[in-house]
Amino acid sequence: MTELVFPVDAPRARRAGFARIVRIELLKLTSTRLGYGLLAVVAVLTPVWTSIAASRAGTGSGGPQPLYTVAGQTTIIAGGVWSMIIAMVLGVTISSGEFRHHTATNTYLAVPDRNRVLAAKAVVGAIGGAVYGVAGYLTALAVGLSFTGAHGYRLLIGAGTLADWGIGRIMGTALLGAIGVVVGSLVRSQLAAVVGVFVWSLLLESLIGGLFGAVRPYLPYSAATTLAGTPLGEAGFSPASGVAPLPFAAATALLAAIALAGGLVAARTTVRRDIT
Amino acid sequence: MATIQIHGLVKRFGAVTAVNGLSFDVTPGTVTGFLGPNGAGKTTTLRILLGLVSADAGTATIDGLPYRELPEPLHQAGAVLEAAGFHPGRTARAQLRVQALAAHADESRAEDVLDLVGLTAAADRRIGGFSLGMRQRLGLATALLADPEVLILDEPANGLDPEGVRWLRGLLRGFAAEGGTVLVSSHLLAEVAQTVDSVVIVDGGRLVAQGPVGELTGGAGGAGLEETFFQLTREASQ
Repeated sequence: MTELVFPVDAPRARRAGFARIVRIELLKLTSTRLGYGLLAVVAVLTPVWTSIAASRAGTGSGGPQPLYTVAGQTTIIAGGVWSMIIAMVLGVTISSGEFRHHTATNTYLAVPDRNRVLAAKAVVGAIGGAVYGVAGYLTALAVGLSFTGAHGYRLLIGAGTLADWGIGRIMGTALLGAIGVVVGSLVRSQLAAVVGVFVWSLLLESLIGGLFGAVRPYLPYSAATTLAGTPLGEAGFSPASGVAPLPFAAATALLAAIALAGGLVAARTTVRRDIT
Repeated sequence: MATIQIHGLVKRFGAVTAVNGLSFDVTPGTVTGFLGPNGAGKTTTLRILLGLVSADAGTATIDGLPYRELPEPLHQAGAVLEAAGFHPGRTARAQLRVQALAAHADESRAEDVLDLVGLTAAADRRIGGFSLGMRQRLGLATALLADPEVLILDEPANGLDPEGVRWLRGLLRGFAAEGGTVLVSSHLLAEVAQTVDSVVIVDGGRLVAQGPVGELTGGAGGAGLEETFFQLTREASQ
């Protein structure tokens, strides 16, 4: 080992600004395999789901409408929103991973302001979620267009709508990524938080939305999926009928408000706890 | 260089009082051993000092400020608290790049401290495959990266081989000789006796004794420290 000579010529370790804390959290995310692994899950699940949906389209066995209809094309291009749930899972792992791996100690030694760490993690969750949104949408679009073209059907969805769905998918996954960070801060058990994300998104929202149709547009996962063009409720197990999704701006504001409110609750409760 | 000051510190976990009115100072240019039996409150005190645990009463400061208010925290204090406190999927080099970014340090500084702790050859291995001793070395590299004025170490010799223990002793002595402040908790009393200038002995969250090793042991060295430790903690528990 090298002989130690003090003092070493190191720069002064100033308190990190917010942009630097975001860079720290991004570096932490990109220096482990989990984020890439979840991206691979998006890249696999999305085309698998889209292919299955396209194969069943028009068969009349509870599958999507035929591919020569707007409804059928909408389902296969905008329905495979696995990237949304995976974005939430990513967010959960970004925050709860600090406690699973006991890395919170080093994190808070480097940046003692815990609220800024939480905010930076939410930003990184949103960035990661947006990347998943891009990957998920491009994959779904490519597979959906391939099936439509292979059957010789004309694309009935305009370029403007497709662009809106893409923007909505990225916005939805970004906001769900940030919400996932908040969930992982409130529920420090990573396993419980991840299971909770799936149970809430796929089961509880379907149940609540099925029982109380009027609240369906305001449920976070449902609202996020409608941003991506998914018909209300189709991303769960209870497609809604007779209830309109929230407008784009309202759904975006709702998700942002949920992330902010949850973040404030976390900042005043779990984030303050002793790191023992 | 910075002074550590603990004054009237109290911390309760439910019905258990982990730290009970503890006060002591650690001065620059010294290596101070922080000794006590299991459950004496050592780790809790160190975590309060580092802003990780909140105190119910009293103060714990570095250079006159609580850790959370230090303007340059990584430069003012480096700490090794948990051998397992690294993401198992991250490499040692990536871990230190994260620390360098937080410390406003050049990435080359990560290479310097990797070399310093003898981990250059393992720099691109994932930490999950590291031995306890390698994790301790990585912890020391993380703590030293920003050239801190104070070192706060909780059982740093755990898992180190004899060569590593000797290297650590030299590191701490060299750090103090340059004016640094070192507070090190350990159960290895014979090793502590060879390394430290003075000791703080606690039991049941209270101060039992504080002073230069020679004064407390009457000049009896390592064996004397062990005997003194048991005698003082026995008296305190009675």
